[in-house]
Amino acid sequence: MTRKIKILLILLFVGYGAMADNIRFTMEAPEAVSVGDQFRLSFTLNERGADLQLPDLSNFDLLMGPSTSQSSSFQMINGKTTQSTSFSYIFVLRAKTEGKFTIRPASIKVDGKTYESNSLEIQVVKGQPQQQQQGAQSGNQAEESVPTGNISKDNLFVRLSLDKSNVSKGEQILATVKLYLSQSVPLNGFDEVKLPSYEGFWTKEIDVPQQVNFTREVYNGKIYQVGILKKTILFPQQTGSIKIDPFEITCLVRQKVRQQQGFFDDFFDNYRVVKAKVVSDPVTVNVKDLPNQPSNYSGAVGNFSFSGTMDKTDVKSNEAVTIKLTVNGSGNLTLINPPKIELPEDFEAYEPKTNQNTVANDNGLSGSVSFEYLFIPRFAGNFAIPAVEFVYFNPSTRQYETRSTKAFQLNVQKGSDDENASVVNSYSKEGVKMIGKDIRFIKQNTSKLKPKGSSFYGTLGFYSVYGFSLLAFGVVFVVNRKKIKESANIALVRNKRANKVALKRLKAAAGHMKNNQAEMFYESVIKALWGYLSDKLSIPVADLNRERASASLLKRGIDQEVVNELMKIIDDCEFARFAPAAFSGTMTEIYDGAARVMGIFEKQIK
Amino acid sequence: MKRLFNIILALLLTSTIFAQDDLLRKANELYTKDQFKEAIDVYNQILMSNLESPEVYFNLGNAYYKTKQYPLAILNYERAKLLSPDDEDIDFNLQVANQHVVDSIQELPGIFFVRWWNSLVNSQTTDTWALISIFSFLLFLILGGLYFFARSGDIRRTAFWTASFLFIFSMMTWSFASQQKSRLVDHTQAIVMDPTVTIKSSPSEKGTNLFVVHEGLKVKITDKVGDWLEVRLADGKKGWLTTESIERI
Repeated sequence: MTRKIKILLILLFVGYGAMADNIRFTMEAPEAVSVGDQFRLSFTLNERGADLQLPDLSNFDLLMGPSTSQSSSFQMINGKTTQSTSFSYIFVLRAKTEGKFTIRPASIKVDGKTYESNSLEIQVVKGQPQQQQQGAQSGNQAEESVPTGNISKDNLFVRLSLDKSNVSKGEQILATVKLYLSQSVPLNGFDEVKLPSYEGFWTKEIDVPQQVNFTREVYNGKIYQVGILKKTILFPQQTGSIKIDPFEITCLVRQKVRQQQGFFDDFFDNYRVVKAKVVSDPVTVNVKDLPNQPSNYSGAVGNFSFSGTMDKTDVKSNEAVTIKLTVNGSGNLTLINPPKIELPEDFEAYEPKTNQNTVANDNGLSGSVSFEYLFIPRFAGNFAIPAVEFVYFNPSTRQYETRSTKAFQLNVQKGSDDENASVVNSYSKEGVKMIGKDIRFIKQNTSKLKPKGSSFYGTLGFYSVYGFSLLAFGVVFVVNRKKIKESANIALVRNKRANKVALKRLKAAAGHMKNNQAEMFYESVIKALWGYLSDKLSIPVADLNRERASASLLKRGIDQEVVNELMKIIDDCEFARFAPAAFSGTMTEIYDGAARVMGIFEKQIK
Repeated sequence: MKRLFNIILALLLTSTIFAQDDLLRKANELYTKDQFKEAIDVYNQILMSNLESPEVYFNLGNAYYKTKQYPLAILNYERAKLLSPDDEDIDFNLQVANQHVVDSIQELPGIFFVRWWNSLVNSQTTDTWALISIFSFLLFLILGGLYFFARSGDIRRTAFWTASFLFIFSMMTWSFASQQKSRLVDHTQAIVMDPTVTIKSSPSEKGTNLFVVHEGLKVKITDKVGDWLEVRLADGKKGWLTTESIERI
C-alpha cells in the first residue's frame, strides 16, 4: 500500500519536474527501519545523468544496487507533444546498528553539471517487529498470537496529541489525531469516526488530505505506520483543567481466517474484514486565566503587529473617510474585538466592518484581520484623532502588550453644500448637544466663612442703626423746628409791638408839640415812622430807605396814595427839621397824617 | 456695605478664619485632584469649627455627589441654598442630584401670588433684606425731613408720598429678613437619609403604614412628639417618622 503511494508520488513528482523543465534529483528512503531490515534507497532524476556519487553509507550494508530503470511519458495537449523521462537508481540497504543516521546528499552529473540531492534522516530501531511481520506473513503460528477480530492495542491505536498542555486562556493549541498502525496490521479502511466535541474550546480545523498519508514513525521503540487523521487548532474559552473527550474510530482490518481444513486451504488464504474500534486516551489541558485585564483589552491572545491607515487626510465636509486598522500575526484572530477609535463627537460614525483573512496550519491560526471604520465629518475644521491602541495578551511572556498606530490628522474643508441648496432650502439649526451630564465644578473663592447661624439681621448693630438714625432725625428735627419758631416769633412780636412803640413815640412827639419844641417834634415823628416800618416790614432800620420801604409796602397791597402820603409826611418832617423857613405846614397836620397812615397800615398789614 | 460688614466680622474672627481658609483651600485642591473622600473630611472639619459659607456646603455637596452619596449631596446643596438662595450653580447641581432620588413627588401648585411672594422672599438672604430695610428707612427719614422743612408745596407732597412708601417698604423687607432668618434658625425642612422609610399614621411603631419614601427626598417638619416627627411632603401627604431617619437642613 505505502509503496504504491510512493510510486504514485514519485510519478507525480517526475511529471511535475518534467513540466517545470528543471533538473530534479531526489533521494528517498523510509524514515524508520529496524535493524536487519532491508529497505530501498532510491534516487530519481528527470534527465539522463552520469557519475552518481553516493554519500557515506558506512552505517548500512549495501546489499544490492544500483538497479537503474527508466520511464518515459508522452503527453499530447492541443496537438503539442511533450515527453518526460525519469531515471531511477535503486539501492537495497540493510541497517546494521540502532540509532539515528543522516544520509548526506548524493551528487550526479547532467551535461557536465553537478547536481546534489536532498539529505535524509533514518531512524533505526530494534529488529523485533520485522520478525513478527515475517511470522505473520509466513503462516499459521501468527494467527494464534493475533486472536480473530481482536487486534491488540499495541498494533492499532489512536492518539490525540497536543503541542502544549499548560496554556493561558485563549492561547492556541494544536491538537493532532494520529492513527498508529503496526506493520503487521493490514488496514482496509475506516468506518465510523467519532470526533471529540472539544467542549470549552473554540476550534478551527486544519485541512488534511482526504486520503490519509502514512509515514513511518518510531513510537515506544516500535515502528508504526502513522497516519494523521485530523488536525485542529483549539482556543480554550474556559479556565481550569479541561478534559478533552476521547477520539473514537472504527478501523476495518483484513484478517486471515482459519477454516475447517478444506481442499483448497493449502492453496488459497481466506480473509475476512474485521471491525476494530479504537479509542484514544483522554487528555486534559490546564488553562490559566489571564491576569488583570486592562480596560481596553481587545480579547486577542497571541503575537501580533498592528497598523492603521486613513484613506484621506483632506476632505470636504459630508464626505466619508475610512480608517482601516489591521491586526497581523498568529493567535485567536477571529475572536478580536474591534479597537475603539475616539472620533470627535459630532462625526457621524458607523459600526466597523471586519474582514478576516486567516490560514490555519501547523503553526496555528495566522493571517490578518482588518477593521474598517467609516465616518463622515459633518463640519469643517482641523481634527485630531488620537492614536488607536490595540492591547493583546502575549502568552509566551504572559503579559499584555500594546501596539498603537500614529495619531491621525484630518483636515475638513467646507463642503460644496451650496450645490444642494436648490434641494435643501432650509438650514437645520442644531442646539449645543450635551455630551455628558455632570454637576458643576466647585466654587473656588474662599474667605467668606462666617460663624454658623450668624446674620446681621437681629444683631444689636442692626437695631441700633434704626435707633440711632431715628434719634439723629429727631434731634435735627427738634433743633431745626425751634429755630424756625424763634425767628418766626421775633417777627411777629415786632409786628405786634410796632403800633405800640409807634404810638409811644408819637405820644412823645405830642409832648414836644405842646411844649412847642419843633425840632424835637419832627425828629420823634420820623423815628416813630421809620421804627414802625422797620418792625412792620421785618426790615432792619439800617437797611431801610424810601425806595425799599415803598416797594415793600406796595408788595403788601398798600395803595399808592397811602404810600405817597407817607412819603410826603417823611419829606415834610425833614424839610421842617433842616429848613424850617421853607416849611409851611403845621405840627398838628403832620401829627394827624402820621397817625392816620399808621392806622391804615395797622389795618392792612398783618 | 456687605463687604465692609464682612471685613469687620472677619477682623473679629481673624485668627480662626484664616486657619479655616487654609483648610478650605486644601480641601478644594484635594477635590481638584479627584481625592473626594479626603476632601469630604476636610470640608467637614471646617464645618465642625462652627464656621460656614455657601461655598463650603456647595463644594461638600459636590464631593458627596462624586462619591455617589446622593442624599448627603442633596442635604448640603439645600444648606448652601439657604445661605445663598439666588445662586444658579447650586440650583443646577441640586437638580442634577435630585435625579437620583427614587420618589417622584408632584408638587402642589399653590396659588400664584403665594408662589410669587415666596420666591420674592427667597430671592435674597436675611442680611441682604436687612440692609435693604435699613437703606430704605434712612431714605425715609431724609424724605421725612424734606417734607417738614421744605417751603414749596410740590416738593412737600412728593416727599410725603415717597417717604410713606419707603416706610412701608422698609417694614416689609424687615419682615422678609425675619422670615429668612427664621428659616435659617428653625430648620423646619429635612432630607430623608435612610434608604427607605415607612411613614406611619401616628407617632408610634404601631401606627398604620401609610406610604414609603426613599433617601434624598425633601420633607417639611410640621410637628414633634418625643422621637417622632410629623412631616409633610411637597404633594401634601403627611405622616410620622423617627428623628434618626432624616437630617434637618
